[in-house]
Amino acid sequence: MTCNECQENISLFLDNELSVEVSASIQTHLSLCVECAKVCEDFAVILDSCRLDPAAEPLPPNSQALWCRINNIIESEVKAEVKTPEKPKGWFAGGFTFSQAASAVVGIAVISSLLTVIGVRNYFEPTGEDYTSRSAATQTTFEKVLSKVGLMETPQQARTKRFEEQEAAIDYWDKRVQSRRAQWDAHMRDAFDRNLNEIDQAVTEYTQILEKDPQDDLSGEMLDSALNEKMNLLRAFSEL
Amino acid sequence: MSVVLFFGVSTQAASAQKRFSRTYPATKNVRLQLLNRSGTITVEGWDRPEISISAYLEAPSAALVPQSLSGTIVMDLVKENQGRNVGNVNFQIRVPRSSVVDIETRIGNLSVTNISGGLVRAIVTTDGDITLTNIYAAAVDAQNGIGDIFFDGEIRNGGQYRFTSMKGNINLRIPFESSFRLVATAPSTRNIDLGPFRSENMRFVSTGRQVVGQAGQGTSNLTVTNQRGAISFIRR
Repeated sequence: MTCNECQENISLFLDNELSVEVSASIQTHLSLCVECAKVCEDFAVILDSCRLDPAAEPLPPNSQALWCRINNIIESEVKAEVKTPEKPKGWFAGGFTFSQAASAVVGIAVISSLLTVIGVRNYFEPTGEDYTSRSAATQTTFEKVLSKVGLMETPQQARTKRFEEQEAAIDYWDKRVQSRRAQWDAHMRDAFDRNLNEIDQAVTEYTQILEKDPQDDLSGEMLDSALNEKMNLLRAFSEL
Repeated sequence: MSVVLFFGVSTQAASAQKRFSRTYPATKNVRLQLLNRSGTITVEGWDRPEISISAYLEAPSAALVPQSLSGTIVMDLVKENQGRNVGNVNFQIRVPRSSVVDIETRIGNLSVTNISGGLVRAIVTTDGDITLTNIYAAAVDAQNGIGDIFFDGEIRNGGQYRFTSMKGNINLRIPFESSFRLVATAPSTRNIDLGPFRSENMRFVSTGRQVVGQAGQGTSNLTVTNQRGAISFIRR
């Protein structure tokens, strides 16, 4: 079985909707292919998250402010409609009723929140081919030219962008850990804190080296790796 | 008085532990997949076509429900005991030598012996040593947070071998005639001892923080990363 065939069937595999033969061959492939096993694991996390009570999920940033704004818009439109029974103008002139527009706004807000949550949950390490994990030394001449004229990100820019994405994912998992931490025993808390501290020390060390020498690709790789370790640690303990 | 009290407490602790024991028939290529919260896991290959699982549960209320799914034995103690403090669950497992072994724990030592299947994967999320002895698997993935990793086995042609630690010692005992491409990184300590594999085909790069090179024909891949510890190669 190829990786493509395996990944196309992973969803059905997790839902137990495949024949015994196909399931067995997927299992064999997953046991040998770390990349597909990782994809499978991520799918399983998404499925689990869909089964969770949505109230238990951390809310997106400024969700209260978002709902207040939606509420204000709805209320102001309702008042305006009561005062002037004329036909609505602008957006509503095309035949949309007020309730349809309000539903659309609410729908967009809910979908974007869901996409944010799923996006963060589905975040995983890049493969070795990922541009962000490449160094300046391995850039082709064409890529270097494109970087210089600003048509393409330099490896440093790509790396910075990736670190920001990793930090966002770490924040997400950290919130989940904080909400569950009280349930762990002291032994579990100590081990978690000790390991998190080690990772943070490594992150600080590489960050300082990169501040002095942004061209130090090895420190860039190691920082990337340490941030992934941190993310995996938080993700693993958020499930306890 | 204190002696009486000690024996009283010991007996109570011993009786509070629960033992779980079960045996499953297994094919040659059976897969063992175990995710533990806390505790040691010892897996040993044997010549019988069956899997034997013994577990000692500190908390009798801990849920342990192995599932046998078309050639795979699955145990997920994280999911089954979510939100509960169930203490250590210590496993002693025997599997056919050609099994795929995939074990993981949040805290605790892992030990795998006498396995020659397609994959040995041993992951400790935080504290714990990983000891892999007599391993002839085509792919090995060992990762821990704080703790040592010891591998004693062979590097097969076309194989993939990865050892990753945050802090601890990584010791690899492999035959001198092994054939692999190596990337070994120890950025904090710069302590990489190639032992018998030191040669002109191996070079230290990035001011001694990394070794890149090839042993023999370079037919397999060996990646070793120790963020804050040492890496050593020993002749087998």
